[in-house]
Amino acid sequence: MTETQPLVLVVDDAATVRMYHCTMLSEAGFRVREAANGLEAVEAALGAAFDLFVVDVNMPRMDGYTCVETLRSEVGTPAPVVMISTEERPGDADRAYAAGANLYLVKPVPPERLVRIARLFTAGRGVPA
Amino acid sequence: MIPAATALTETDFERFREYFYRRTGIQFAPSKRYFVDKRIDHCVRAAGFETFAGWFGALRLGDRPALLQELINQLTVNETYFLREDYQFDALLNAVLPRVLAARGGPGRMAGPVKILSLPCSTGEEPYSIALRLLAEWPHIDLVDVEIHGGDIDSEVLSRAAHASYGERSLQRVPKLWMSRYFNAVGAGRYQLDSSIRDAVTLHQINICDTAAMRVLHEFDVVFCRNVLIYFDELSSRRAAENLYSAMRPGAYLFLGHSESMSRISPIFKPIRLPEGIVYQRPTGAK
Amino acid sequence: MGLVRKAEPEPELPVVSPEDLIRQLDDPDREARRAAALGLEGVADAVEALLDRIGVEQVPAVRDAMLTTLAVHDTDRVAAGLAVHLASDDAGLRTAAAEALATMPISVPALVPRLLEDPDPDVRVMTAIVLADLPHPESLTWLAVLIKDDPHPNVVATAIDALLPSLGPEHRELLEGAVRRFPDDPFLRFTVEAALR
Repeated sequence: MTETQPLVLVVDDAATVRMYHCTMLSEAGFRVREAANGLEAVEAALGAAFDLFVVDVNMPRMDGYTCVETLRSEVGTPAPVVMISTEERPGDADRAYAAGANLYLVKPVPPERLVRIARLFTAGRGVPA
Repeated sequence: MIPAATALTETDFERFREYFYRRTGIQFAPSKRYFVDKRIDHCVRAAGFETFAGWFGALRLGDRPALLQELINQLTVNETYFLREDYQFDALLNAVLPRVLAARGGPGRMAGPVKILSLPCSTGEEPYSIALRLLAEWPHIDLVDVEIHGGDIDSEVLSRAAHASYGERSLQRVPKLWMSRYFNAVGAGRYQLDSSIRDAVTLHQINICDTAAMRVLHEFDVVFCRNVLIYFDELSSRRAAENLYSAMRPGAYLFLGHSESMSRISPIFKPIRLPEGIVYQRPTGAK
Repeated sequence: MGLVRKAEPEPELPVVSPEDLIRQLDDPDREARRAAALGLEGVADAVEALLDRIGVEQVPAVRDAMLTTLAVHDTDRVAAGLAVHLASDDAGLRTAAAEALATMPISVPALVPRLLEDPDPDVRVMTAIVLADLPHPESLTWLAVLIKDDPHPNVVATAIDALLPSLGPEHRELLEGAVRRFPDDPFLRFTVEAALR
């Protein structure tokens, strides 16, 4: 592990999802941290420069849309955001992109796909392919 | 080497990591694994358990709060000394106090003093560290009045705070010049803080969770509440956060310990990024 | 100028009666409402007034203060009064009520069997979230019952998530059984795979 590997924040209120995504990404060579709701994610983003955010939609205290809006407007983070929803409802994807997400997916996201997407969004930052 | 009886498997470690994160909001990087294992091993043995599984089961059940308290003690450095976590005092001088002065109209136009609270203040190292840094390094100290208050639930530590005499261990980070300027040797390797500073700090015996008692603390511009909320259960930490909010002016700033996070506890404060780290603000619009 | 000691001792604070505090729960100023809710800590007579306002208070900070005060009571009346909000369409209210109920180990257990039989799967999901943090020896048993028998995959997935910190080898059969009950639910399969890793 070196400090040059991309740092990913996994934001989800479901512990299994957090654990799974974190394990997959760290086995693929990413540095990972986790947050259990949008508010924690904003706080984490104020304290560290993340290279990628993987954000759930439905969470207590602060939902995914508000979290991404806050990351963009108040924290001013330019890093890519992948939003992952549990169920697909009409208009959700539009809302995610309007909030500032770069990609909107519906669960479950197979681990290989998540890792591939993470590599695409952090290309050039030194992750082994 | 970790003996086999308490050695953690990869799965044990993940479960533990998840539990501790849920309970305290603290997460460990995989590189901290060895450090965490050693501290857990200590806790398992100290509590008289044969195995990690037995200890972890009792910890999760939650009917022995001392288990969690000891674990937190082991996994967070919990020692009080002068100028501890000094970067937060840097933030106070460089970023927070200038904002406070600006928000209150600037030196010379402020109604009332700048008020700073240290809670819990234990034996006084924190409020006195704030006083020393202001006196020695803050150019505006001659232009504005500053009131420093300390509070603690424990009358024993408060009487030691009032006496303000400390040993070398507590003073090791204090510059020599400050020692000669602000302390007097009182024998047996101990040094007492000068009465001009001792007398300027107001001490309160107070329980942070007691809403009625906490009403005596109000209109603070800056609050330091470091490394205590982490020990509280959810209800107590929420009540404490609410009480701190009530003790602060709208727009006032709150410092927590470096491993603590307010977003684990309550959404009522707004996290703010400073060059020296995160500080929490009571929103200005909420009045 | 410089360091100053507080000039005079604090004046005695006026004591506000519980009746006045209850009236202030309807004050137009949100800070007055928040302070009144906190000030009513331990006042049994204020429980009904607080419960009446949980569902209508629009400011989350004020609602949180009301819940902080209510949860201390941990009585059947408060538990029942908060549990109705587990069915709320307002996600913020729903999760705030669940957080409060999770801190009430004396009164909540008596409600759990009924909540686990609620026809609305969203209520059962919220109940699993309460059980995740409720410090009670039966919590794990109830979660296991949901995983084994609940007819809705979202409820089962939430219960597995809640059980995660306590999962051991003895739960493998339980989790594999859940996958067999919902072979076509990819998210549940994912949750079980993640939990069994």
